[in-house]
Amino acid sequence: MSTRKKRSIFDIMDEYFEDLEEWTEELEERFGEKPSWNPKNCTIEPLRDITVTPTEVIVTVDLPYAQEKTVKVTPLDKNTIEVSAKMKKKMKYGDFGITHYKGEFHTLQCRARVPVPVHIQKMKTSFRKGVLEIRLPRKDEHEIPVE
Amino acid sequence: MSEDVKIIEKKKIPWDATMVFGFPDVGLVGVIATSHLISELDLAEVAYLDSKLLPPLIVLHEGLPHSPIRIFGDNDLLLAVSETAIPADIIHPIMNSLIDWGKNKKVKMMISLSGVPIQDRQNAQELKVFAAASTPETLKTVHEEGIEVLMEGYMVGPQAIMLQNCAKTDFPALTLLAQCFVNYPDPEAAAEVLKSLASITKVRVDVSKLLEKGEEIRLRARDIMKRTQQEMTKMKKAQEYDIPVYVS
Repeated sequence: MSTRKKRSIFDIMDEYFEDLEEWTEELEERFGEKPSWNPKNCTIEPLRDITVTPTEVIVTVDLPYAQEKTVKVTPLDKNTIEVSAKMKKKMKYGDFGITHYKGEFHTLQCRARVPVPVHIQKMKTSFRKGVLEIRLPRKDEHEIPVE
Repeated sequence: MSEDVKIIEKKKIPWDATMVFGFPDVGLVGVIATSHLISELDLAEVAYLDSKLLPPLIVLHEGLPHSPIRIFGDNDLLLAVSETAIPADIIHPIMNSLIDWGKNKKVKMMISLSGVPIQDRQNAQELKVFAAASTPETLKTVHEEGIEVLMEGYMVGPQAIMLQNCAKTDFPALTLLAQCFVNYPDPEAAAEVLKSLASITKVRVDVSKLLEKGEEIRLRARDIMKRTQQEMTKMKKAQEYDIPVYVS
């Protein structure tokens, strides 16, 4: 007989809200309706792209003005990474002719959620022409035997 | 011309000009290239597009409102550019109205500037430019200039509408596509496409400033690139990676 851990209503609610938060983040990412400039944290969200191949997941991030030595990739959990880089020069809204917002930006920062299981600690990175490439080997979790 | 789309002329439009399109697409190649042409050739706004089909949107420049889709020009050149991603469901009436307007103005040729995405773009040593044309004669011109022809494949987006519309009436049109990033603004690809445009039209501009300002352009163009990605998904841009079944 299998033993199943009984979950309290609070666990279920916590899980529900976690899912809801994740879903909202996904919607924001998909529809791009949140500003890509964050004056509070002085960060600019760079563009990123995710490609899934049979053996690996390739995440690229476009990092204009990034100082190569400051580019940092941090695993946040088993399927999320955070990329950040200091910029070669501080940018202000005014540099783009914007006068109705105030803010100064010195860091590029974004998060990427990987859609399939990966060995996040085995990632390899390279930086070329201002584009960061992160290669994450996939986990073979769902192999179906061929009879 | 679609009744829902009007083109309002602000200045006298020259006849016999070359009409160039720079609309948001992969790598924003066309938008970046035409913006550079406008600034280098100091072109003035000669007309703008007004349509209820567009979202309720204006672009403010120096405190004054402008249509997001405008036509700039001088005596020889007309540039149709968009500062916003064009919603996939209205791209047909918008493009067809601009093309019909150009034909009415007796433009001698229409050229669309855009890109063709490649994998590992950041590792590419040089970027090729490909072309496709509306008529065999125009295609021959491209060949003579040494530009490689995009022989087989699908094309999705504003340039597809332009070629289809112009082919119907044997009107000379061509699209120049530089290898580029799919989802990142690509000033280097824009510079390459401008070099090919120069060989076809003799519209020559210095692209060194464009390359110098590359990082600024990539930072500034992130937001329009993001919105363009959403519209490209809706118009099934990924079909360009497919191999067509040949039906002669």
